[in-house]
Amino acid sequence: MRLDVNALGTFYRMAREGAGLAAGRLTRMTGVETQVGITKLNFMRGTEIRRDFGDGTDRVGVRVELSGGLDGHSVVVFDRESALRIVETLINDAETDEFDEMNRSAATEVGNIMNNGFVDGWADVLETVIDVSTPEFIEGTTVDAFFGDIDEAPDDDDLALLFHSNISAIGTEMDIGFSHYLFPRRESMAQLLEQLRTNEGIEYDKLDGFDRMAEQGAEEVAKTATTLTGIDTSVEIRRLNFVSLEAIPEAVSNETLVGVAFEFDGTPSGYLVFLFDEASAHEIIDAMVPMSPDDGDDEFGEMGKSAIMELGNIMASGFLDGWANVLDTTIDHSTPEFIHDIGSAAIDPVIIQLGESQDFAFVFDTVVVADGREFDCEIYAIPDESDLERALNDLDVDKIDETPTTAEFGEIENT
Amino acid sequence: MKTYGTEPGIPDPVQVGISELVVTEGDDTLKSYGLGSCLAIALYDPDTEIGGLAHIMLPNGDEIENSDAKPGKYADTAIRALLRRMVERGASYTSVEAKITGGSDMFEFESFGDGVGKRNTEAAKRELEKLGVPIVAEDVGGTEGRTVEFTPGTGTLTIKKANTDAGVTEL
Repeated sequence: MRLDVNALGTFYRMAREGAGLAAGRLTRMTGVETQVGITKLNFMRGTEIRRDFGDGTDRVGVRVELSGGLDGHSVVVFDRESALRIVETLINDAETDEFDEMNRSAATEVGNIMNNGFVDGWADVLETVIDVSTPEFIEGTTVDAFFGDIDEAPDDDDLALLFHSNISAIGTEMDIGFSHYLFPRRESMAQLLEQLRTNEGIEYDKLDGFDRMAEQGAEEVAKTATTLTGIDTSVEIRRLNFVSLEAIPEAVSNETLVGVAFEFDGTPSGYLVFLFDEASAHEIIDAMVPMSPDDGDDEFGEMGKSAIMELGNIMASGFLDGWANVLDTTIDHSTPEFIHDIGSAAIDPVIIQLGESQDFAFVFDTVVVADGREFDCEIYAIPDESDLERALNDLDVDKIDETPTTAEFGEIENT
Repeated sequence: MKTYGTEPGIPDPVQVGISELVVTEGDDTLKSYGLGSCLAIALYDPDTEIGGLAHIMLPNGDEIENSDAKPGKYADTAIRALLRRMVERGASYTSVEAKITGGSDMFEFESFGDGVGKRNTEAAKRELEKLGVPIVAEDVGGTEGRTVEFTPGTGTLTIKKANTDAGVTEL
């Protein structure tokens, strides 16, 4: 199975189109204004999807099976509370907190109309017909309840392509949000990718290999951070996204953040940005330079800045050396640029530069956190598309597990 | 707590995302968050109180195939699209004025050349000059991000920077 940017771009348009139609139908049904949040094409492993569901929230879902132009499963997942609030707007009744038969059928109806919205959007883009099965209502807290018996949902180590959107209510007190997952069946997806592909593209297994490599890079970053700061950190989220460039800054917080940015040059070249919230930045500075005069106000002194840049520099080396070793090449990175500004403003220069030659980007999203202490670090690695394709085609997939990511910090934990 | 749709009263600002443009009138407020090197272009006709905001990311759409599909992405195509939509709504071309902000250059990367923010600002000025739309106020460049709000009724463009000392500027 091979894929290229054109094919993925069409998939991305499908995801967006579908989310738009689904949001519109929810609005018509409930009278609540809705908006589509970030729509992503995620390449995710089973372990990552499990993390999405890991917080023990009660959820309800409506699931349908697709066949025809696209085979797979489409699942709308609401927080249980959101689903109840939606049901309340539909059935003029007192507040409810149980899914009795009536509520259940109302929720199923809503989920079904949303699923159909997505499916109609995809069918439009693909100019085909997609058949939808009878909807199934699911109530549960774990990932297994929703996806456990879906064959195409990935096992822990498999990389699945899935469409992921969020829709939320706006301008009301009503807090509604839901996630949508599409798991296409592999053969069906391969066939579509083949139709949509306009050039040689990349072998899917290479992308899988590259993602495993990035996983090692992320673990390395967490380990480096722990070594340097003494704060015990771990990787919380890690996924490979394919998104339109505009969606990248929109996914970043509008809060003021502290960051370190690099450009890197080689095969691939691109940009690497580490972003911390202000509290985390202060915590890191305290940990790295305990004697610094930083007293927790908004400004970061010279010592503080250089501590953050030093940490960024070493984390960047850890991340990129991992890539370079597996790709058997050299990737140089620039000196660090410190930034203390609105989060999205720290990313938009990068997408503007890339935007001169591409509309979409693969983004390696990673979030590193610490237990019980402030350390939230978002990492965005955004390679130049043409270089990436070249780098991936040269990738020797068998080499990944045996190559240590850096010499400096030794062994790799392959979790 | 049942709420049906958006209540009248004080409307929430309409968000103008990257590569988007919105035309409206009167007291409606248009808002773009976290502009770094992107540029916000606000056009308005003080007589009819019709105006719009574009949040552009690239300078020259005319050089790109298919730029019509997303006019809000490029400085030149966004300005023309804003003007056209405003005139369609009843604005008078000759009284339209422009305010621009954004276009910072936060990083000195080699690959960025003279600066990605600077390129956007220059392109917008060129297009406005070509169309004879006067720039009545600007706050461009520098190294800081900006969040902006624009109200066509008053023509006020409010700029907020992350650095609290800089506070809020009104153009």
